[in-house]
Amino acid sequence: MDWFPLLNSLRIALFSTIVTFFLGILLAYYVAKLPRGLKGLLDCILTMPLVLPPTVIGFFLLKLIGPYGSVGSLWLDLTGKKITMTWYASICAVIIVTFPLMYRTVRGAFEAFDQNLIHAGKTLGRSNAWIFWRVLMPGCTQGLVAGTVLAFARGLGEYGATSMVSGYTPGRTATISTTVYQLWQEGNDALAYRWVFINLAISFAVLLAVNLIERRQPRKRRPARLPAAG
Amino acid sequence: MKKVLSLLCAAGLTVSLAACGSTGSTPSATPEESTPVAEPVELNVFAAASLTESLNEIQTLYTDVAPNVTLLFTTLASGTLQTQIEQGADADLFLSAGQNEMNALDATYAGTEFNPLGLDFILSNTRIDLLGNQLVLAVPAGNPAGITSFEDLITDSVTMLAIGAPASVPAGMYAQETLTALGLWDTLNAENKLTLASSVKEVTAQVTAGSVDAGIIYLTDANAAGLEVVAIAPTDSHSPIVYPAAVLTNSHAPQAAEDFLAFLTGPEATAVFESYGFSAP
Repeated sequence: MDWFPLLNSLRIALFSTIVTFFLGILLAYYVAKLPRGLKGLLDCILTMPLVLPPTVIGFFLLKLIGPYGSVGSLWLDLTGKKITMTWYASICAVIIVTFPLMYRTVRGAFEAFDQNLIHAGKTLGRSNAWIFWRVLMPGCTQGLVAGTVLAFARGLGEYGATSMVSGYTPGRTATISTTVYQLWQEGNDALAYRWVFINLAISFAVLLAVNLIERRQPRKRRPARLPAAG
Repeated sequence: MKKVLSLLCAAGLTVSLAACGSTGSTPSATPEESTPVAEPVELNVFAAASLTESLNEIQTLYTDVAPNVTLLFTTLASGTLQTQIEQGADADLFLSAGQNEMNALDATYAGTEFNPLGLDFILSNTRIDLLGNQLVLAVPAGNPAGITSFEDLITDSVTMLAIGAPASVPAGMYAQETLTALGLWDTLNAENKLTLASSVKEVTAQVTAGSVDAGIIYLTDANAAGLEVVAIAPTDSHSPIVYPAAVLTNSHAPQAAEDFLAFLTGPEATAVFESYGFSAP
């Protein structure tokens, strides 16, 4: 059995999640600090891919990174290579589609975070960067993990946008989702079922892992104690 | 209060009169030939993707011939349509771009390699060969890879070739046959240069967008999309490209379907097909 679709889906989801992780946290942190009007507008724009059909995203992406698109033609001039019809294009598609998941989850976690801890840090003379890395991030671990896992799982299951920008080249750009579609079209139910169960197993394992991680986190019910002064 | 009541009664009476009026004109047993206004009929036509443009034109012609018939076209790859019919889709007509997809539904081929399960989804006595087509190699505007023949596909100037998926798209099957006959199939596969599309229209779209260096499509698709054709597949390098058509067994309106099929073989429809580059079967 050709295992390439599994490897390809995993690597696309992995690389996209890494980018979405940092991008989501970055934007969640800075957008949370903006004034209300601008925050609302940016929120809309950044959450848009969540509610748009993947084919709409695929269409826009094609116009952008396709050989005649603004980014695509620039890349073609610089490197002589096309972005579309490669697995790199899939990474672009998956980043766009999974970004809102990470962004919303992390922003929710940041906004629910007890601001007193941040103020306390500031009164103790700590820099914003220190507060971010040593107070905020550790305190929001659950939200970060949840967002990352959601993004990864969604990225693993992306079909519409990936299919449009990367096509279906066995051994090069085939993912689990495009392979199942292809097998269904051919009428090869037996092999399609196999891939469906593989996908189910991976998704189940991922969500189970999330559950276990969440259970190991101590429930912070009591108010946090401030570090002793002096 | 009285005024409201009387208004409501008046409204109620008017509505019931109108309802009586419309149901009053139930069709008495008038013979079909004598009444010019026939019952509205909806025909679900499953057609190969390459027939999209020509069928849309023919649709406007047919409304003059049979104004009571509403044509609904589902244009996908023939293999996909075959799968949908097998899984119970409601359709009246099947226009396929390949014989295999039709054979799989034809009871006269029961027991053979084409129809091992003995499926019976078409009315075999309505099956005809409707059209012929040609297979061509098309390139994006400006031919960036400088392709002049099929043999150029295995050179380094070509990184990606789009064809239909051979197992579900007849155009892909013909493309595989041609590339095999020309001795290029194994090399292209070994170098992972082939991207398989779900229909010949997707291949056309990929070529138009310039995402691939070339695509193997029908002459009619190249004409409809205004794509440059750099080579035509030799006729003996693939099975004859014939479009069979038939009425389906679970059609709700087999007579109307047969009438439309007859129209498709007539002079008006043939003129439209030929304008796109289709030929006689």
